[in-house]
Amino acid sequence: MSDDKLLLVKDLTTTFATAGGDLTAVAHVSFDLDRNETLGIVGESGSGKTVLSRTIMGLQPRVNTTVTGSSVIDGFEVVGASEKEKRTIWGTEVAMVFQDPMTSLNPVMRIGKQIDEGLRVRLGMNRKDAKARAIELLELVGIPSPVERYSAYPGQLSGGMRQRVVIAIALACSPKLLMADEPTTGLDVTIQAQILNLLDELKERLKMSVILVTHDLGVVATRTSRIVVMYAGRIVETGTTRDVFYHHRMPYTRALLESSPKVSNESHTRLVTIPGRPPNLLNLSPGCSFAPRCTYATDQCHTERPELQPSVEPGHAFACWNPLPVNAEATLP
Amino acid sequence: MNAPRTPLLSVTDLEVTFHVHGHAVSAVAGVSFEIYEGETLGLVGESGCGKSTTGKALMRIVEPSKGTVELEGVNITKESGKALRSARTRMQMIFQDPISSLNPRRRVKDIVAEPLDCWKTVTGVERDKLISDLLSKVGIDPSVYGNRYARQFSGGQCQRISIARSLAMRPKLLICDEMVSALDVSVQAQILNLLEDLKAEYGLTLLFIAHDLAVVKNVSDRVAVMYLGKICEIGPADTLYESPAHPYTEFLLGAALEADPDSPINAQVLQGEPPSPMNPPSGCRFRTRCPNATQRCADEEPLPQEVAPNHMVSCHYPLTIHHKSTTPTVLEG
Repeated sequence: MSDDKLLLVKDLTTTFATAGGDLTAVAHVSFDLDRNETLGIVGESGSGKTVLSRTIMGLQPRVNTTVTGSSVIDGFEVVGASEKEKRTIWGTEVAMVFQDPMTSLNPVMRIGKQIDEGLRVRLGMNRKDAKARAIELLELVGIPSPVERYSAYPGQLSGGMRQRVVIAIALACSPKLLMADEPTTGLDVTIQAQILNLLDELKERLKMSVILVTHDLGVVATRTSRIVVMYAGRIVETGTTRDVFYHHRMPYTRALLESSPKVSNESHTRLVTIPGRPPNLLNLSPGCSFAPRCTYATDQCHTERPELQPSVEPGHAFACWNPLPVNAEATLP
Repeated sequence: MNAPRTPLLSVTDLEVTFHVHGHAVSAVAGVSFEIYEGETLGLVGESGCGKSTTGKALMRIVEPSKGTVELEGVNITKESGKALRSARTRMQMIFQDPISSLNPRRRVKDIVAEPLDCWKTVTGVERDKLISDLLSKVGIDPSVYGNRYARQFSGGQCQRISIARSLAMRPKLLICDEMVSALDVSVQAQILNLLEDLKAEYGLTLLFIAHDLAVVKNVSDRVAVMYLGKICEIGPADTLYESPAHPYTEFLLGAALEADPDSPINAQVLQGEPPSPMNPPSGCRFRTRCPNATQRCADEEPLPQEVAPNHMVSCHYPLTIHHKSTTPTVLEG
């Protein structure tokens, strides 16, 4: 089945030339994605998860940016492709749901026109067909009275409704891969549940693959089959969702899990904290980027960078010199 | 918690009405609660429910249009001028966005010293010592960072500085408005632990306003749930989360995502969005989205009733309370 991967990312590196020097936002990232699979990319702010998701589909900034490695979406090599070539896969092969539904829509353009745009340009539909399809899409994403909403402006819709519109735009040309970058950040919990259920349902119905990029472990816990944990631009642990949650080997993964408060914990439960804060990417140490905050760090951690190495479970890998023991059955409270 | 039963703050029938384009919007529509000395009251709700406005109205940052706020027996809503200013020193507020709530062009020690300099409570060497002491308490080394500008700090550090500033006048009550929602989980855990330590050390009473249910439960002794300008349920944190009595609370808890792959996905999520506070529904404000609503809910506003010790709910048909159950109620799809 390895030849039938929808997405193959190999050694992908994104470097920005900044006034302070070269900043490597994504460093040597490799992973793959099956058809009809949901993968979670998790990390704190600055871990490179957003840059990674954009680089995968070739949406990185055009200036002062160097991308090396490879990202193959359904046989199409994105790295090195021209803008014109990339435009042939945007929308039809891969589409993105951006983080902020307040700013990712054009405020002075009716939402119907914003959905039409892709249909007419990419699929060459005429005005009438495109409108009919746009109304269908609005219905698909659960917008009440889609015919009237077709001519609404984004400002007339709530945040949750706007996010549904953004999803409708992304789905317009039936992409095989949907990238969702923090699709529910900034939405209320009840609306968040609605949007995540919608994404799940659409994934099954349209046989898509979804990459869910988020900082929220709660979002990925029940919605993904595999997870990639990122820290300072690198993958530090990857595996099935259960392996990452219950059999993690990388101390950072554990710290991340333990520092998030849980509804099931009693009130006034002391949280486990990670000292310090994420590193400055301009000034990374030659060793493991997490070493300065890690309780298990040794001299080797500060001087030599650990590569991803396989753990016992198939597909589970971690980058650490002093990993947690294999049978560290989650001591999560 | 065995907090002594003297209310430090009592809020009675608080209302805040904004006038927008000639329409009256009642952001807070008759809220009553008490906060006892030494306890933490959590205030949760979705965006637009009036939780932040309630917090601001207590300090009279926004003017309440009706109702009373009594801090240690002093009616703040009646005071003005010097008496109001002096009452405000006994309660302090920490805001959501740590970076914009500090002046980027002022030095950290001057920011923390501002309340002291206004009130001239301590001067000279004593003042400098107190500032150094406060900064060390929140984990900022005064000798290294005291002379730096606020703009040179990260979000988590800015929130620490905000906490130091709020403690300068030795307040009794701290109002924390979404104070950790802009921070990464690892930093959030540090700030929450710091808050718990300082609460114990300074004998603080907290009103903790946030949308994140897990965070609120973690810090609170009691929790109040707001919906569309009213408190629909208030009770001890552990029992309210274990067995909510209001249907809205149950939906809210059902939508909260637990960072655990084995947690159930609730198929039944709350549909729709809150109605506009410009034109709230008659009777119970939640009735338009409530699956149990009847004609009575439209005709008659439910009054708070006690369903368990200290557990009040405003609902005509409260859910059955079952404490010490092994599994919390899950709505079946």
